Amino acid sequence: MSLALLAQATANGLSLAGLYALVSVGLTLVFGVMRILNFAHGEFVMLGAYASFWLFTLWGLDPLASLAVVLVLMTGLGALIQTTLVKRVLAAPHLNQILLTFGIAVTFQNLALLLWTGDLRAIKVWYSASSLTLGPVSLSLGRTFGIGLAMILTGLLYLLLFRTEYGRALRAVAQDPEAALVMGIPIQRVYILAMAIGAAYAGAAGVVASVSMFTYPLIGFLFGLKAFCVVILGGLGSVFGATVASLILGLVESFVGTFFAQGSSWAEAISFVILLLVLLLRPKGLFGVE
Amino acid sequence: MPLLELEALDVCYGDLQVIWALSLAVERGTIACLLGPNGSGKSTIMNSITGLVRPRAGAIRFQGERIDRLPTYEIIERGIAHVLERRRVFPFMSVLDNLLLGSFPPRGKAKRSDQLARVFALFPVLAQRQAQLAGTLSGGEQQMLAIGRGLMARPTLLLVDEPFLGLAPVVIRELLDIFARLNREEGMTILLVEQNVEMALGMSHRGFVLESGRLVIQGPAREVLESVELRQVFLGRP
Repeated sequence: MSLALLAQATANGLSLAGLYALVSVGLTLVFGVMRILNFAHGEFVMLGAYASFWLFTLWGLDPLASLAVVLVLMTGLGALIQTTLVKRVLAAPHLNQILLTFGIAVTFQNLALLLWTGDLRAIKVWYSASSLTLGPVSLSLGRTFGIGLAMILTGLLYLLLFRTEYGRALRAVAQDPEAALVMGIPIQRVYILAMAIGAAYAGAAGVVASVSMFTYPLIGFLFGLKAFCVVILGGLGSVFGATVASLILGLVESFVGTFFAQGSSWAEAISFVILLLVLLLRPKGLFGVE
Repeated sequence: MPLLELEALDVCYGDLQVIWALSLAVERGTIACLLGPNGSGKSTIMNSITGLVRPRAGAIRFQGERIDRLPTYEIIERGIAHVLERRRVFPFMSVLDNLLLGSFPPRGKAKRSDQLARVFALFPVLAQRQAQLAGTLSGGEQQMLAIGRGLMARPTLLLVDEPFLGLAPVVIRELLDIFARLNREEGMTILLVEQNVEMALGMSHRGFVLESGRLVIQGPAREVLESVELRQVFLGRP
């Protein structure tokens, strides 16, 4: 095992981890605040990826620029889904909540199939071909941007949660919604904020993915599944846990893919084995409290 | 005009009615207590004042205006603080964060630093433990934090649900003194739910006694304490 290979695997792992983090912090935030598992979360990624693809294809907009558009659009979509749909099942049995969010997922998948067909879409931007070379490590510029973006957005979320009035309110609602109500916190607004952030961050992940991977109507399912692994591994509701778990899964998958024969086909399996082990030894996840 | 007025209140949980045609009034600047056996509906009344449960019929007025259809955050903004039963501090947040959450409403935020100084003066132990996680405080300290957090919104009316539950006598005396000071020094109106009848009536101007969701006795605290009916409610009817 050469040092160069190790460094390369770490760089690839970080790029994967950044993508996982962008998807999963929102999922865990929504669960922490509303106790709802959003099965349509992956579809936000898919929509973000398609938005990036079409903005590039139709208007030649660079994905780095579409990112701003996608963040705004997805914030709006998250708020809309919260106020029109999810709000209605907050007090309903879990089965109803699952049916609703799963229904939203299926609807979005089929809308995408209908509107944009099942073709694999890819965009070629100047930085997807060129790469950044640091000594023995070479990482495509697209992935480098992805890592940077994930770090910036995750950092911003931590700032929001720990340095602002509404961030404190979000944490309070997650710990005790009734006590938060009598603090005078407008709890429905906090729910909208959580869902909007979740959708925007997943949409950002979609933009990143659109540069380095194919876009098609079912990518949301894959991202959603991986995000669920990350969130359970990190502890349901813990944003910090989701960040750490993203790093672990991203790095492990990249290492397994690099250092084992036919490793890339094992990578997926290994991450589920880790998940099972953590669930056996520490059922609440790495940083869960319940 | 009373500060708080409940009029012919009916409250139900699903099909089960727990409060029956209840009317009561709390005058500005007084301490009142709500007494009654377990399950008589005391907490339900407190929770309907701040909109945590919604009455099926009747009206709740605060400073003369209906509040029973307002969202909870607007009720709090009008000047009611609610210290919930079992303290309910945010366990994984610092003492300071808990207090700052109490001043989330605009009326509290405007005078946040003044009010924080006031709360620290009332409860010096909270000042010492600002950075500590609220979940690691003792029961008495958690109760002080819960009350302090309520005061951060600068309420006109303070609702306190069973503040003495499970506390040491020395802490109870300290809290009794705090309530008396708040009432005397700031003219704060306090409505209190309590199990200990003598203590509650001893600190209050007026007492209300509930039995199975109905108001059965009300009057000046001393008269309630000496009434024959009080013994009947708590010790059973002959």
